[in-house]
Amino acid sequence: MTIWDLLLQQIINGISLGAMYALLALGFTMVYGIIELINFAHFNVFMVGSFVALWVLQAMGIVGQSHPLFGLELIGVLLIALIATMVITGLIGVAIERICLRPMRNVPGTAAMITTIGVSYILFNLILLGAGADSKNYANPLPNVRWEIGEAVLRLREVLVWAVAFGLMFGLNFFVRRTKMGKAMQATAQDPEAAAMMGVDVDRVVVIAFFLGSALAGAAGLIFGLYYNYTSFIIGYTAGLRAFTAAVLGGIGNIPGAVLGGLLIGLIESLGGQFLAVRWTDVIIFSILVLVLVFRPAGILGRVAANRS
Amino acid sequence: MTATPIDAGKPPVVPPVISWRARMRDILGRPTSIAAIAAAAFAFPLIDRNDGDVDAAANALAFAILALGLNIVVGFAGLLDLGYAAFFAIGAYTYGIFASYQVQPEWSSFWEPLQWLGLVARLPGADGGMDHVHFTVSFWLMLPVSAVVAAFFGMLFGAPTLRLKGDYLAIVTLGFGEIVPIVARNVPSLTNGAAGLNGVAPPNLFGYAFGVKSVPYYYLGLTLLVLLIFVSVRLRDSRIGRAWMAIREDEIAAEAMGINRARLKLMAFAVGAAFAGMTGTFYVAKLQTATPEMFTFPVSVMVLVMIVLGGMGSVAGVVLGALVLQLLQSWFLQDLTQWVHALGRVTGIAFFEQVDLVQSIELIFGVILVLMMLYRREGLIPAQRAVTHLTHAEQTAVPSRGGIAGEFALSSRAIDPGKPLLEVKGLRKSYGGIKAVQGVNLTVMPGSIVAVIGPNGSGKTTLFNLITGLVKPDGGKVLLGGKSITALAPHLIVERGIARTFQNLRLFANMTVTDNVLVGTHARTATGLLGAVIRSPRTRREEHDARVRAVGVLSIFGNRLLPRIEHLARTLSYANRRRLEIARALVSEPALLLLDEPTAGMNPTETLELTDQIRSMRERGLTILLIEHKLNVVNEIADTVVVLDHGEKIAEGAPEEVHRNKEVLRAYLGRTAANAAA
Repeated sequence: MTIWDLLLQQIINGISLGAMYALLALGFTMVYGIIELINFAHFNVFMVGSFVALWVLQAMGIVGQSHPLFGLELIGVLLIALIATMVITGLIGVAIERICLRPMRNVPGTAAMITTIGVSYILFNLILLGAGADSKNYANPLPNVRWEIGEAVLRLREVLVWAVAFGLMFGLNFFVRRTKMGKAMQATAQDPEAAAMMGVDVDRVVVIAFFLGSALAGAAGLIFGLYYNYTSFIIGYTAGLRAFTAAVLGGIGNIPGAVLGGLLIGLIESLGGQFLAVRWTDVIIFSILVLVLVFRPAGILGRVAANRS
Repeated sequence: MTATPIDAGKPPVVPPVISWRARMRDILGRPTSIAAIAAAAFAFPLIDRNDGDVDAAANALAFAILALGLNIVVGFAGLLDLGYAAFFAIGAYTYGIFASYQVQPEWSSFWEPLQWLGLVARLPGADGGMDHVHFTVSFWLMLPVSAVVAAFFGMLFGAPTLRLKGDYLAIVTLGFGEIVPIVARNVPSLTNGAAGLNGVAPPNLFGYAFGVKSVPYYYLGLTLLVLLIFVSVRLRDSRIGRAWMAIREDEIAAEAMGINRARLKLMAFAVGAAFAGMTGTFYVAKLQTATPEMFTFPVSVMVLVMIVLGGMGSVAGVVLGALVLQLLQSWFLQDLTQWVHALGRVTGIAFFEQVDLVQSIELIFGVILVLMMLYRREGLIPAQRAVTHLTHAEQTAVPSRGGIAGEFALSSRAIDPGKPLLEVKGLRKSYGGIKAVQGVNLTVMPGSIVAVIGPNGSGKTTLFNLITGLVKPDGGKVLLGGKSITALAPHLIVERGIARTFQNLRLFANMTVTDNVLVGTHARTATGLLGAVIRSPRTRREEHDARVRAVGVLSIFGNRLLPRIEHLARTLSYANRRRLEIARALVSEPALLLLDEPTAGMNPTETLELTDQIRSMRERGLTILLIEHKLNVVNEIADTVVVLDHGEKIAEGAPEEVHRNKEVLRAYLGRTAANAAA
């Protein structure tokens, strides 16, 4: 394999990973944009999403990877799995907001963030106790279709990941920019109090942000399973931190920034893993996180926020 | 008015406190109770001869120390550190590497003096190869060394986070917390990678080998815990502890009260890390092994759960939280699991028969975090003291006219009365396209009262922020007593002699009235970390003097604040908060006092009272620059009035001159009104 084929292959992998991180990063960024909260529960909403998707697929009779589906049947099964997962994780997000975070909305300091750590732990351990510690072979109906570009390989699963991820991202962008609720969301992000005065139901906006963010995390969970063919209770932590780094890198609170950051982190992970060393990937990503926060806390696309003093 | 004035000299009659928590604290705080707890802790291994129980208790002690350390960072200084286990790891590996067979450089003459000191031993090479060095550094030496190494890393990791606000700080510390175990895993030459260090030497005390027995570790852990509880309490009740809490409550106000924010934050990181470093050394010596897995994120979270459960900032609370959670994990959950299994067998429910509660400890942690945050954010033993209720007489204050009674100097500075105290020359500041302050010149003579007035948004507060260093000017100069203080850090400006209050009130809400005022003395006191722990006669004197001064300054406001000195600032009325801010500024012994709308929110009587008091402050040698919207106050006390509009000075002079000034009328009332008046 030539270096160019390797590079192309890793770019294909990186964009796929990046698309998944971007979906996750959107959830962080929406919640942070609106209520300035780093939502650690998001890590494990994603993980729960991958399990929910697995159970939905299994419920539709799909076991392992050896029974691929084709055509409309494939599309139908995947759409059902995607929608069911997104609705369920979305509702989990709503429950988290309503039960644990709404009472903390006006508590100053880090109390709300600590609560999300607690919620994250609860989700993590519920899956650990309920589903066991072993990693689960994923139910994957995708046929092994592949195209060769030089010696690099593009598989159907990558194309699917891109289609789902970018489709959802465009959908979200449309929602935020073009709908009334989206505008209310933008207004709330700017100034919740002023938005409330203008008749925006801020509680509703926050719940919808949690629903959408968690639904996207669920989609990312499905993508993770289809892409790696496994899931496990531990996947939330690493992927979540990378996605959070992506959100920060792109400019937290900024939707296109989250997508850009996600893609960059995906590429850094795949190219860094190929050309540097896999065991240092996390150190590289955390170093990026620290450096961005310290030197350009507004991220690549974010505007420098005025320091309230 | 039915209230009777109370004599400030007579101790107020305090009704009994009824809260059970206060009563518990009272009982627990008694010397006999402390002695009883200490005796029980001491006797425990003599009573419970089960080695496993003692071992679990020794581990619990280690985690109690970790919780104490994290409490300094999170509870005292308010810096949420999610990577605290990193320092635990650093302490563990520091000892582990210097007390195991992991690193064995080749022998050379360089090592001979160290061998003589007993720090290394010479290992004969196998098969006639080179001799090697075996590190045998004593545990007792490494205990403080690990603390210092961890403290160093605490400052190293803390430095980049100094400018970050709370939640970003948490993420960066989380990142460092991840990086440290990864480095330990990936540098096998030092750490033996994922397999971990093995054969770490246990401590040895005067020939008594600790080995793998639990009892000596228990007593060692207990000793360390008692020592570090002592250190925590001493720090909490010192100048340093108050400065940490001030930063926790309001960084900007802390800075404006003379606290060097960066220095004190680094100090908190360093002390917290030092606690963890010592614990790491203790823990690895006890286990005689160290693997990267022992120091990952769940450990940081566990320690966080301990302090959340016990009560952030509460020394007794976090120790209790740590002991409860550790012992829950190692003692009760196993027993409980047995009971639940038995219940399952009786009822025939399979789930109960199989469930392992020990495994679900993290689930319990999560539930504890959420429940504590939702329902009892202050923890089991809250850090804040319960407030005694005031009598009716104490609650109702009678307005007093005539300024400040009693004899004490407000400022001991020698000021040349002939030269201007404050000179502002061509000061400029823009925010984007808005010129908040443009080319303002201002002179304040010693002993005068200068009032700055102007419509909203005219740049008055920005001018104050520029003078006190909270905002850096784009151009121009600020001179105090002829020396430039332009763009100095706020805490240095306080040291030079300018103190201020804030328009929007920036009190340290969760600190008592006394502590708020004591923070004001920060710039005039010197006690450092070591002094605070040792509490030398000099420190005691300094603390005593500061407290005397604080009460003296509070007495300016008669019985408005004195009956409330143990109350939290957030429980005060609006007017009392304004008074407390003034007291906090006064106690820093300023030459120049900047008051930003001191009478805002006060009723006419209270306004008159404060006006008199401000006038008396000037009579006692203070120079005052104030922003005020109430023109009757300005007319009453100001020698000079400066009028700002759109960031520019449009008029200056005696109050009556300024009132006739056409420009001023235009700025306030519009052009037509100005013409009509002319």
